[in-house]
Amino acid sequence: MFRQLSERFGHPLAMAILTLLGMWLIVMVTLPQLQMIDYSFRPNLLPAQRGGPEDGWTLGNYVTLFDNEIHRAIFFKTLWSSVLVTLLTLVVSYPLAYYLAKVATPRQAALCILLLIIPFWINEILRTYSWFIILAFRGPLNEILLALGLIERPIRFLSGDAGVMVGMVYAYILFMVFPLYNAIESLDDNQIRAARDLGAGSIRTHRRIVIPHAKPGIATGCIMTFMLAAGSYAVPALLGSPGSRWFTQIIYNWFFEGGNWNQGAAYAFLLLVLCIGFMSLVMKFFKVGLGDIAK
Amino acid sequence: MDGSVKLDEVVMRFGDFTAIERTSLEIASGEFFSFLGPSGCGKTTILNMISGFLTPSDGQVMIGGEPMAGVPVNHRPTAMIFQNLALFPLMTVYENIEFGLEVRGVDKRKRREASERLLALVALEGSGSKLVTELSGGQKQRIAIARALAVEPRVLLLDEPLSALDLKLRQHMRAELKAIQRKTGITFIYITHDQGEALTMSDRVAVMSAGRIQQVTDPMTLYRAPLTGFVASFVGENNRLEVKVVDRQGPRVRLDGGALGPLMGSAGEDVVLANGQAAALYVRPEHLRPVDDGYTGPRLETTIEAVHFEGAWLMLETRLDASGEKLRVQLGSDLAKQAAGMLEPGRQVGFGYDPEEAVVLPDDGSPVVDEATGEVVETSAKGEAEAGGAHVSSA
Repeated sequence: MFRQLSERFGHPLAMAILTLLGMWLIVMVTLPQLQMIDYSFRPNLLPAQRGGPEDGWTLGNYVTLFDNEIHRAIFFKTLWSSVLVTLLTLVVSYPLAYYLAKVATPRQAALCILLLIIPFWINEILRTYSWFIILAFRGPLNEILLALGLIERPIRFLSGDAGVMVGMVYAYILFMVFPLYNAIESLDDNQIRAARDLGAGSIRTHRRIVIPHAKPGIATGCIMTFMLAAGSYAVPALLGSPGSRWFTQIIYNWFFEGGNWNQGAAYAFLLLVLCIGFMSLVMKFFKVGLGDIAK
Repeated sequence: MDGSVKLDEVVMRFGDFTAIERTSLEIASGEFFSFLGPSGCGKTTILNMISGFLTPSDGQVMIGGEPMAGVPVNHRPTAMIFQNLALFPLMTVYENIEFGLEVRGVDKRKRREASERLLALVALEGSGSKLVTELSGGQKQRIAIARALAVEPRVLLLDEPLSALDLKLRQHMRAELKAIQRKTGITFIYITHDQGEALTMSDRVAVMSAGRIQQVTDPMTLYRAPLTGFVASFVGENNRLEVKVVDRQGPRVRLDGGALGPLMGSAGEDVVLANGQAAALYVRPEHLRPVDDGYTGPRLETTIEAVHFEGAWLMLETRLDASGEKLRVQLGSDLAKQAAGMLEPGRQVGFGYDPEEAVVLPDDGSPVVDEATGEVVETSAKGEAEAGGAHVSSA
């Protein structure tokens, strides 16, 4: 790599680029992570006790999760809800991505993509607050449903998981739509036409032709959405109720309210392992490699 | 099984652009029918109207006597072979061939029997479990044919399917396609810009230009008796000479070639020529032969500019002494041998032709030729009215 770089940019510049890259990877990525791993395996001690007889390696912080019934329930609920959010986002995004890639004229597609992107120019917290307003007990959605006569009394969207789900599907839809769009767009139109010509209806055409082709895109979108959902803090904090706590909120509490960084670090790593595990499962299920996803 | 196709007064417009002018045409069941024309002439549009991917703006398409209006692509008794074949790359050969049957709910054992039978038909026994990506170009071609035939279409639509193959394979596949068509008795509708393909395989050919069918007839007639200047220039090679009609007796037409002197040609019964009218005389390169001074028939005095030896024949590029126009001459090897001494660049040679083989048509403008490929693209707008007069409604 150094040879190629120095041939192109000259020796000093190549050196500088590699040094900066190395610094970035080591100082800003690797070391903090190692520090956190180290934290997670040590007990939470007062500064004076550090390095003393009580200091040492322990699995205690990891065991906490399995001892604490509430935390464990929230951990698995986060897993399950993130899977649901991912599936829901996929279901909402697929028709949209297909429309953008194969049905819409270039003009319509450009307009649609613009409309999709514009809200994302606004901060995620603000966007989430807007859902808070929309879904509120006396908010516009309830008003409209009441006015249409579809419901008799307002619904508490924001108690339970529904509000969190809606907020997350909305927050991460682009991370699903674009990988799907890219994958579907690369499908030769004649493949779809050939399937139709051989007698396939539209459901079968999607099942046998479009979806198999779009598999890497579906996998990428699902992995991204799942990671973002499982690691989301703002949406559950704003749209969730005490009854729908997310695991990230517990991690936050350990760090900033409990002041127990060691415990927080252990929980954070458990969440990371969960995400990596989910990612490998999805990749195995869709039979795609890391290379396909990086495309 | 009636595989006849009828275009009844169909028109196809895209916004302001008329891709297909009002056209009527009947294709008989079991016929090998080709649409021949340069790219953009509308031939693919016609195919798409038959397959159902496009709905005509006016008029209707009938297949087997049944109107197809409102019948979607997946319910039409047609199957298409796409230009890029569009085999399903994620499926095996079996799965590709059986796709149409799977859709129709045929059980697995029957599907496999059908695909084995079709693999035998296209001479690819034993490759059913391969992925289509493992096949060569020619093999993919055959699998595409097998996949389309699997649904037992009444009409098979072929959209320039051979254009991706190299020359040798293409010529081989022509014979094979024709053989398959004979064996199955299915109506084949073939789209191509390659006249070689159209002439060798088809029972009848429709030559198209600018959204209009110029002529529909069998390949031999198409070559010998073109009805429009476009057909004369597009099908085979032709020398075009601008002339004036002197008079006509039956098929024989006496012409005034201006500086070229008196010339002769023949015109079909359908061709209307008035005395004194501007016309074009088409003489094919292979109908010209060197003549000596004693020859009394119509002759063209030329100077040879280049001689190309093509193996079985000799191609001469000459220029007419009187008008400076180019004249191409093709001599068979025996004629070339006889005249060996005279055929050198710079030599002046007179060429004669048999007036029966030279076609006279009303002047409908000189052909527009694609600079890059040298192929005829269109006839110029001049005399569009006459070309319109020759608009064919064939039965």
